[in-house]
Amino acid sequence: MRMKTTLKLLFLVLLAAAALAPRSFAQAPPAAAAAPVPAAAPAPKPVPITDADLAGAPVPSADARAKGDPDGSLTGTASDITVTDAKKGVTIGDLANQVGQNKIAINFVWTLVTGFLVMFMQAGFAIVETGLCRAKNANHTMMMNFAVYGVGMLAYWLIGFAIQMGGVGATANLGGTPPLSAEFAITLFGKPFGLFGQTGLFLMHKGTYDVSVMVLFLFQMVFMDTALTIVTGSAAERWKYAAFVVSSFLMGAFTYPLFANWAWGGGWLANLGANFNLGKGYCDFAGSGVVHAVGGITALAVSMIIGPRIGKYDRTGKPNAILGHDIVLVLLGCFILAFGWFGFNPGSTLGASGNGALRIGSVAVNTMLAGMAGGFGAMLYMWTRYGKPDASMSGNGLLAGLVAITAPSGFVNPVGSVIIGLIAGVLVCLSVEFVDRVLKVDDPVGAISVHGTNGLWGVISIGFFADGKSNYGGSWNGVAGSVTGLFYGDNGGQLVAQLIGVVTLVGFVFTLSFILNLLVDWIVGQRVSAKAELEGLDLPEMGALGYPEFELKS
Amino acid sequence: MIFVGLLVIMLGFVIAVLSLALHSVGAQLAVVLLGLAVSLYGIMGVLNRAYLKNAIWKKG
Repeated sequence: MRMKTTLKLLFLVLLAAAALAPRSFAQAPPAAAAAPVPAAAPAPKPVPITDADLAGAPVPSADARAKGDPDGSLTGTASDITVTDAKKGVTIGDLANQVGQNKIAINFVWTLVTGFLVMFMQAGFAIVETGLCRAKNANHTMMMNFAVYGVGMLAYWLIGFAIQMGGVGATANLGGTPPLSAEFAITLFGKPFGLFGQTGLFLMHKGTYDVSVMVLFLFQMVFMDTALTIVTGSAAERWKYAAFVVSSFLMGAFTYPLFANWAWGGGWLANLGANFNLGKGYCDFAGSGVVHAVGGITALAVSMIIGPRIGKYDRTGKPNAILGHDIVLVLLGCFILAFGWFGFNPGSTLGASGNGALRIGSVAVNTMLAGMAGGFGAMLYMWTRYGKPDASMSGNGLLAGLVAITAPSGFVNPVGSVIIGLIAGVLVCLSVEFVDRVLKVDDPVGAISVHGTNGLWGVISIGFFADGKSNYGGSWNGVAGSVTGLFYGDNGGQLVAQLIGVVTLVGFVFTLSFILNLLVDWIVGQRVSAKAELEGLDLPEMGALGYPEFELKS
Repeated sequence: MIFVGLLVIMLGFVIAVLSLALHSVGAQLAVVLLGLAVSLYGIMGVLNRAYLKNAIWKKG
């Protein structure tokens, strides 16, 4: 009892401290403005560099290089600069080209490596979901997570990428991506409403066989796959494998790319600022809405259609807990996901050089802080409410914090991140209870709450917590200035833009997902037979047990 | 009821888009929140209720 009271008090103190902190930060006058500024010394006159200067640059001799370079001082010198005319040697033009290429190379490498990290999140999702399911469905759950990578990629390569990014226009950090310049738009209220892109089919269409387009494709593809794999969790233990394949293909080809185009591909949501003076338009730095809410909302649609697992509810509708089989897998998976999130959020700058991309440090720290706060919030909530710090909900709290910070990670400060994460950690517990007990929608892994509810919270939080300090090339979504929320002096326009995005997710994306999955239900059938479900899906659906050497209780 | 539920959910989205015709941020905020409420009602109050009528646990 005393423990409970102490925890409650600690929790309240933390909440109060977190709530008060940003206000004092926001209202405090900047220290530098109050202090007298010494007169600046006159700037030195710039000295132009000439080709002759470059010709005199020290270059290690062939003999010196032949002896090896153990300390690295002879490797990477003027002799490594590509020259266009060997007779002239290095020119200013060569040097400028090399600098430009170095910038783009840094950004390519950054975007690719962070994309590889996001790809690794598939492993995290796979073991989190499998650990939260029963052992008799281990093969089926793992196989869905494995196959969704390929199914989604195929759909996205064939159609999805073109719909999402075919009209994005210039992606400055990646060298321009000029072939992606055809957006289909209609006119509404006298303004253009971009609806979908029209180039990039098969990555060959209209000049899209292009190095920068390839980098963009890889990065966007792994994001799309993350959204798809969210659904496999909520529909686990009763989803017919064939239906899962068709449903995932449709999501990767149409549902995800359409909303992603509106938010990231130059579509109408992104232009709410430029066209309707609503802040900087709908902002979603790394995809709380585009990736997680789309995944979570589709998970809700599919789970409603499929219905709950046998035994989840008794005849009065009271929910029964169906425990997962391996909490070790669950928490290990959460750590893998948290690691991958360092690709998800900081990678969304699409570069580490130029256009404010040095903010990657801030984005990464915001990400880890919100994850910490989310895990902490959920653990404390469960501890105070049920007397024990529930492990799976603590893991879900960590993920909820990470989901929520995904959209605002590029626009908020560390205190804002902790508040957003803390709220997410409590919100995921409340949402799981609501979905389970009130909606009576069965979600074995809590995906609807982790990704859907907290994805929406992350989108909304920008409207409040964006601190106006970010600067990605001086503008966002084509509107000059930094993204700013209500707590930092905005007039509410940014919040309205974010809420329009939320209603688009809840209203449009849900409806589209529901109709597509209703069609799959009519044509393929979404749910396995009761016999297969009771037996476990490993044998009936996959033909092999996940754990053949163990005797399983069904 | 499923069809009605989907119509209500889409109606919320349409209401939110129509808010763009207004010029006051306060009015836009109110209309967008109304759209959100309508969509949520469509999901939880109409569509889900229709599914729960034939829920598997009621048949057992």
